[in-house]
Amino acid sequence: MDLLWQTAVNATYAASYMALIAVWLVMIFGVMGVINFAHGELYMVGAYCVVFLYAQENFPFLLAVAAGLIFVGLVGLVMERTLFRPLRDNPLGGLIASIGFLLILQTLAVFGFGRRMGHVPPWTQDKFEVFGAILTYQRLFVIAAAIVLLAALWAFLKRSKFGRALRACAQDAEAASLQGISMNQTARIAMFIGAALAGVAGALTAPLVSPTPYIGHSIIVTAFIIIIVGGVGSLEGAVIAAVLYAFVHTFVTTFFDGVVANIVGLALMLAVLVVRPTGLFGAKERA
Amino acid sequence: MNAPDERPILEARGLTRRFGGLVAVDNFSFSVREGAIHGLIGPNGAGKTTTFNVISGFYAPTAGQVFFRGLDISGRKTSTLAAMGLVRTFQGSTLFQEFSALDNVRVGRHLGARARFLSRLLGTDRSSEREADAKALATLAFFGLEELADEPVSNLPHGHQRMLGMAVALAAEPRVMLLDEPFTGMNPEETRRMMALVRRIRDRGVTVMLVEHDMQAVMNLCDIITVMNFGALLVEGVPEVVRNDPAVIEAYLGSATANGANDAA
Amino acid sequence: MPGTGTGKLVRRIAWQLRLVFLFAVLAVLPYLLSYSQQEIAVLLVINVLLVSSYRLLTLTGEWSLGHVVIMGVGAYASALLAKRLGVSVPVSLLLGGGIAAATAAVLSFPLFRMKGFYFLIGSFAAGEIIRLIWKRFTEPFGGPKGLKRIDAFPDIDIGFLSIDFFEPVNYYFLALVVVSASLFVLYRIERSRIGLTFHAIHWQDRLAESVGIDTFRYRTLAFVIASFFAGIAGGLYAHYVGAVNPTRFGVDQMVYVLVWAIVGGTATFHGPILGVVVLTVINEIVLRALGLDTARPLIYGAILILSVLYLPNGLESLAPRVRERVRRWRSGPAATGEGAG
Repeated sequence: MDLLWQTAVNATYAASYMALIAVWLVMIFGVMGVINFAHGELYMVGAYCVVFLYAQENFPFLLAVAAGLIFVGLVGLVMERTLFRPLRDNPLGGLIASIGFLLILQTLAVFGFGRRMGHVPPWTQDKFEVFGAILTYQRLFVIAAAIVLLAALWAFLKRSKFGRALRACAQDAEAASLQGISMNQTARIAMFIGAALAGVAGALTAPLVSPTPYIGHSIIVTAFIIIIVGGVGSLEGAVIAAVLYAFVHTFVTTFFDGVVANIVGLALMLAVLVVRPTGLFGAKERA
Repeated sequence: MNAPDERPILEARGLTRRFGGLVAVDNFSFSVREGAIHGLIGPNGAGKTTTFNVISGFYAPTAGQVFFRGLDISGRKTSTLAAMGLVRTFQGSTLFQEFSALDNVRVGRHLGARARFLSRLLGTDRSSEREADAKALATLAFFGLEELADEPVSNLPHGHQRMLGMAVALAAEPRVMLLDEPFTGMNPEETRRMMALVRRIRDRGVTVMLVEHDMQAVMNLCDIITVMNFGALLVEGVPEVVRNDPAVIEAYLGSATANGANDAA
Repeated sequence: MPGTGTGKLVRRIAWQLRLVFLFAVLAVLPYLLSYSQQEIAVLLVINVLLVSSYRLLTLTGEWSLGHVVIMGVGAYASALLAKRLGVSVPVSLLLGGGIAAATAAVLSFPLFRMKGFYFLIGSFAAGEIIRLIWKRFTEPFGGPKGLKRIDAFPDIDIGFLSIDFFEPVNYYFLALVVVSASLFVLYRIERSRIGLTFHAIHWQDRLAESVGIDTFRYRTLAFVIASFFAGIAGGLYAHYVGAVNPTRFGVDQMVYVLVWAIVGGTATFHGPILGVVVLTVINEIVLRALGLDTARPLIYGAILILSVLYLPNGLESLAPRVRERVRRWRSGPAATGEGAG
């Protein structure tokens, strides 16, 4: 019973950062029609911002996280301008170019920090008990930050003018452009926020994961599973799928092992692709 | 060849197709007589294209059946239907744009040019391939396109591309050809030439069913016309009857007014 | 004029002469190389088969991210057959290709229910599952460390002739023979009606289906053939290097295949071959000489981006462009009215 509850608490933590990463991969796909394969590397760059500023240069943790947010957001802008905009009519080209970009970011990280795990000291050792399960403040902070950021995003998407424009572009780019919504402007904003959030997720979890330059691979696999299961183009679906997958993955990891958990996740994704390519929560196919 | 046969070659019974909550085709029945040129018309959104897509196997029907030469073919794959002799064309210039005109028709000869994998490798399929090429050229000649055989499709004028689309379908040697809007976007001269071609295809023993908006062409060309509205059968009959049917006139007028209102908005 | 009998004959002879010349160069080449360069040449020949088999799959318009894993299936299968069951290596090589092809045939049932982007992601997922299975099950796959001491190709020793395939030069010729034969088969397939049908499915699958082409069957066929030859490439690799592990067939390796194919250009048969040869030469000569080995992924990434952006048809498309420039330059600015620039 204790183990079950502890695993559930761990899964909640996993769900929070997974949602943070996957939601914007979905949004970027919706707005620009391209899958950013380098999304996991944006997470990695965010984590290394913390390695550099917090662990090596002793800046305050939160400052390092904020720097990660802005820096990775800017990297996202560069990607939008140099890759995705010129390749807007060529989604496969965009995806392949993002693979190229991924290699560049990876190699730069190796040059800067070496191949081995970057060590990030915890910013607090404190922990507390929730009905018998142990939760560190570091993890609690990630959960809280994810909830706040996702809520803020939700409000932004539903309430603000840009948010509505973004959703319009995601649903029907042509109709949106007829209504005078600028594709370039919208894509820029989507890419900045999407990259920044991947960066924040990396920065926040850096003390918990010991980042390597190659950590992006497992992140992108996770993100793919979530967006396929949740339904490409469905933000709510991505959040639900993140929670679902985090629980499945954490429980299988605890009771079997991590590799089996990954196999289960990928098999789940293949099954969804076969049975319901629009995802469990995605819109139904239209005529 | 033109002797009317009592048994329909193509028939739909109670055909229904839903998309989520939307009923595109609603308990629709019709039958096509062998050797006929059969028109399927109706106002925009009446369900003609969906009906075509269900008959040609692109969608499975939600309910009801389609019979072809007496066999229930509902839900079978498009390629299986083609092998049985039911071949469709597509709207506009849906062609293998990167191929030459001849290669397009050669692909159309797919069913007639069977060979084993090994003989493809060893090149012993040469005789059957030569035969396929000869037939492809003959099909091009039937449409008067033999001069353009080696021309890439993207260089052909629009009218020629439309004829080539029919040539690709005819090369598959169908018993029934389903033509999807064969006259749309054509000038009167091209329409006249195309109508003559459709008649000649019928005279080769191919039954023709077509969806079309050009009312005049349909009235002049078709032996029998089925009118759809709101996914269901409205009227069926020879052109003179359909032309003067009050329900048909009302359906078109109604949709015309609705369209007018939409355009104004 | 093209199409006339003599014209055809002349072109055919010219083509054959070029082929003879090419093989002559390939035959002399290893003797001009150092030992380590010979080893690279062996891997290059194997990679030529890998990327050419990949191109056959792309003919139907589907891009897989699992091709290198399929190569791994051939490598693991051939290695295990030889190691565990004592199957002689030439036979295990063929069986390895067969098992890779069978794996593809099974995978095609889920995968070809998808197209385009979904197929890409689906093939990625399927490949990762296979890789994780190698990693997870130490028996028989050896876990993360993989298989070691894989049987080498048996020496040929028939009195007057004795060939030791441990020597890179000899293995180079062996690989060259196997790969040339495979390329010939791939070429024949593409030039036959099967190739025409693959192209047709790529450009208009609905139209292809409407004239009786079973697009599922042909997509599967392309996938199975491509996988067979990828499996052969994998076997050639395993019995040369003597060790395989799950990381060797990871996504990074797949990215290299993509780079070779895209940089070379998939529109022609020789495009991807050109891609892998040029990039390997650049890699081994330029990067190694400059000591920039670790920068390889970065440079490959940059090349990949630049070629997607500026060379959508690959390196192969450069030649006509350059020729056009030269022609214009020769005929002078006045003739074209546009200037030589």
